[in-house]
Amino acid sequence: MAPTIITKTEKLVGQRIRRKEDPRLITGTATYVDDIQMQGMHHACIVRSPYAAAKIAGIDTKAASALPGVVAVFTGADTKDVGPVPCGASLPGLRVPYHHILAVDRTYFAGHPVAVVVATDRYIARDGAELVEVDYDPLPAVADPEKALEAGAPAVHPEWADNIAFNFHQEGGDTAKAFAEAEVVVKQRITSQRLIPTAMETRGVVADYNTGDEALTVYSSTQIPHLLRTLLAQMLGLPEHHLRVVAPEVGGGFGSKLNVYAEEALMGFVAMRIGKPVKWIESRRENYLCTIHGRGHVDYYEMAARKDGTILGLRLKLIQDLGAYHQLLTPAIPTLSVLMMPGLYRFKNIQADIVGVFTNCVPTDAYRGAGRPEATHGIERMVDILAAELKMDPVEIRMKNFIQPEEFPFATATGLIYDSGNYDAPLKKALELADYPGLRRRQAEARKQGKLMGVGVSTYGEICAFGPSPATPAGGWECATVKIDPSGKVTVGTGASPHGQGEETTFAQIAADELGVGMDDVVVVHGDTAVVPYGIGTFGSRGTAVGGPALYYALQKLKEKIKKFGAMLLESEDVTFVEGRCVCNRSGKSVSLAEVAGASYRAMKLPPGEDPGMQATYFWEPPNFTFPFGAHIVVTEVDADTGKIAVSRYIAVDDCGKIINPLLVDGQVHGGVAQGLGQALFEQAVYDENGQLLTGELMDYAIPKATMMPWVESHHTETPSPVNPLGVKGVGEAGTIGCTPAVVNSVVDALSVLGVRHIDMPMTPEKIWTLLQGGQA
Amino acid sequence: MKIGGVYQLPVARDRAYSMLQDPAILARCIPGCGGLNRTAGNEYNMQMKLALASISGLFEGKVRITEQNPPESFRLAVEGKGKIGFMKGDGLLRLVDKDGGTEVSYVGDVQVGGTIAAVGQRLLDTTAKMMIKRFFDQLAECAGQ
Repeated sequence: MAPTIITKTEKLVGQRIRRKEDPRLITGTATYVDDIQMQGMHHACIVRSPYAAAKIAGIDTKAASALPGVVAVFTGADTKDVGPVPCGASLPGLRVPYHHILAVDRTYFAGHPVAVVVATDRYIARDGAELVEVDYDPLPAVADPEKALEAGAPAVHPEWADNIAFNFHQEGGDTAKAFAEAEVVVKQRITSQRLIPTAMETRGVVADYNTGDEALTVYSSTQIPHLLRTLLAQMLGLPEHHLRVVAPEVGGGFGSKLNVYAEEALMGFVAMRIGKPVKWIESRRENYLCTIHGRGHVDYYEMAARKDGTILGLRLKLIQDLGAYHQLLTPAIPTLSVLMMPGLYRFKNIQADIVGVFTNCVPTDAYRGAGRPEATHGIERMVDILAAELKMDPVEIRMKNFIQPEEFPFATATGLIYDSGNYDAPLKKALELADYPGLRRRQAEARKQGKLMGVGVSTYGEICAFGPSPATPAGGWECATVKIDPSGKVTVGTGASPHGQGEETTFAQIAADELGVGMDDVVVVHGDTAVVPYGIGTFGSRGTAVGGPALYYALQKLKEKIKKFGAMLLESEDVTFVEGRCVCNRSGKSVSLAEVAGASYRAMKLPPGEDPGMQATYFWEPPNFTFPFGAHIVVTEVDADTGKIAVSRYIAVDDCGKIINPLLVDGQVHGGVAQGLGQALFEQAVYDENGQLLTGELMDYAIPKATMMPWVESHHTETPSPVNPLGVKGVGEAGTIGCTPAVVNSVVDALSVLGVRHIDMPMTPEKIWTLLQGGQA
Repeated sequence: MKIGGVYQLPVARDRAYSMLQDPAILARCIPGCGGLNRTAGNEYNMQMKLALASISGLFEGKVRITEQNPPESFRLAVEGKGKIGFMKGDGLLRLVDKDGGTEVSYVGDVQVGGTIAAVGQRLLDTTAKMMIKRFFDQLAECAGQ
């Protein structure tokens, strides 16, 4: 034990470090659900209703069962004792239809699962599915939420003729007074269209039942392995400890895999019945028909203000298209919109009325942003509409109404406590990057030449780090385990099961810094309920913001133990753990982490009161949400002949608190903006009046391609969150939240010379061209 | 979806009307039709192969002729379902003397569901028009024989 000189190495947190995940992802060596092969594995194909609403008069499975290679065909009659697909959200008076995993006597949306064919290979399963004869009696259907509310509309669920699943009212301040005192009131109907999440990897399930152990293992492309395990065990009537859920590599989720689906329970049921492993891989068409959709709002806004631009109050009537059932969080999503209604502004008078409407469509649920993009779109459109009404600059009106840095923590009219903020900072930075006065001069020039150029600003806020447990249906904490091997190598286990967020990299950065080891000395494991302790999962920008602090605290706990073992080895009470070594402050002698860890496992001697081994687990409950914010500026040019919109500049200044890895933050912003632009310009899930999905594949549903993307200039300000020790806030959804109003504000600004005040998304060339011809978009 | 169009047949109106009611001729002229079998007075069962966008499949269908008003007009209802979805169509056909032959005009509604709706909707309009044109072309050819 020679005296040691510790040289301070550079911290990894804050560095642009490439992802540890990437080598396996880009060399095709990652294991997704469909890569799983097992001895004796069978394949399932699901028969789905072509009708949005129909009675099932009968199902004939004889021909399918007789097909060589088909081993079983199950219908709703076989599975009706499996528990219902769960809804985790609760609201007063919520009507919850019983959601069988296979339709029993009636189908409620096009794509509703009716039967499953199990065969020795997936082609036979598919051929078998074509032989299942279902006798449907078609019923009238309704797909439009506003039409579903009209008297005489077909009832989605016969027991509730009005199609209303719930009414929800929230109020803060005194809205009536605010509107009575208003010098100006602006009103607008604003829609946030139904979107299809389109994860690159569709859903997939492999279920494997060991009849000897009576134990089921379910591999699923999910964001929430532990919650899935708890809920699947209930559905299947299995003791929870006889069920293991594994989320292997997950190729994107965006909320669509923050769910418990009929197919997950169905595959468990099949595996238990046939005693063989079974695989189901969702096709892209099934993914579009049967995996949850997002958004689906019709919003009626009224904003009260004074003539100087001071916002006094906001009223909202929100019509939420729920689809035919409640999936895990369906009815909760619009309530998040209400929470986010005030945006970054100081006004304290809010009134919201939500009506949740059943339609004969696939359910809506969380999609990147989940309720907050809709709200941000609403407030940021309304602020621009107010600015136009008052002939004020959209920047000036925002700065006038911002909550100021000294007002934090700030209590909103919707019951939130904003943790920290400096809303001028990203906006000023964005204005500077954009050369805002220069842009306005260029715009004036362009207008003289008859060109349609627009500048759009959005200043968004969001709720991240879901969340304090009292505010979430299933607990909002997260857990982390840190384990140091006898050789000093580190394994981090997180319950925040990632699906593309890069936690194997960011969590390794955090752990490496705290333990004074290198990136390569740390491995991060996740997604297997048999490997990591119970965790909640990754959604609502919580991976880093809740999973990160859990890891931080687990590391602090472990460092205490390291110091105790170090003190024992160094025979000194005065020991510091620094840069991966325990150092005696008096003698200067030190021991390495490997020496300490090795001693803890050999356990020849133990520090008083300590147990052997080197492992710590921490479950962290966040005291509050975090509230990131930012400013996006978008410059557009509209082709007056074709209505085509070109985004010539996209400037994003996001403040997500302390940044762990700027490279990954930029990636999150770019991806989020791509999906935001998708909503603003291209995407829309379209059902015809009979509930047939017309945008059933990628030929008809326009997600943005690489060539349709502008360069996203991603910049940041850093306002740490006081809610957690890392100061992080979350950034996974910032792009989708900040983007849509910036783009729409920009195009409305371009067309304002023609008297255009609002355009609903998606702003397709056809819609813009129609507007340019003087028609109604 | 609303459909409509006009077509000129090089035969007299009486002949055109009777051809349009003749199951043997209809079976030859409906694209992809595998035969019409009478089930009741003016009702037939039909098998038909349909291809739309990247999908194709067999449809089992019913054809019903109503509101017969020879030689001026009749109503045609077609219903079919298969593995790739279902379709329902209903149209009124009118026949008028024109240029020594007969002009047939039709207006109607077509509804589709299932996979053909989800993936084929954008081609439905052109496909329906093309199939109707092929039907009348074939009918004109039969008339010449």
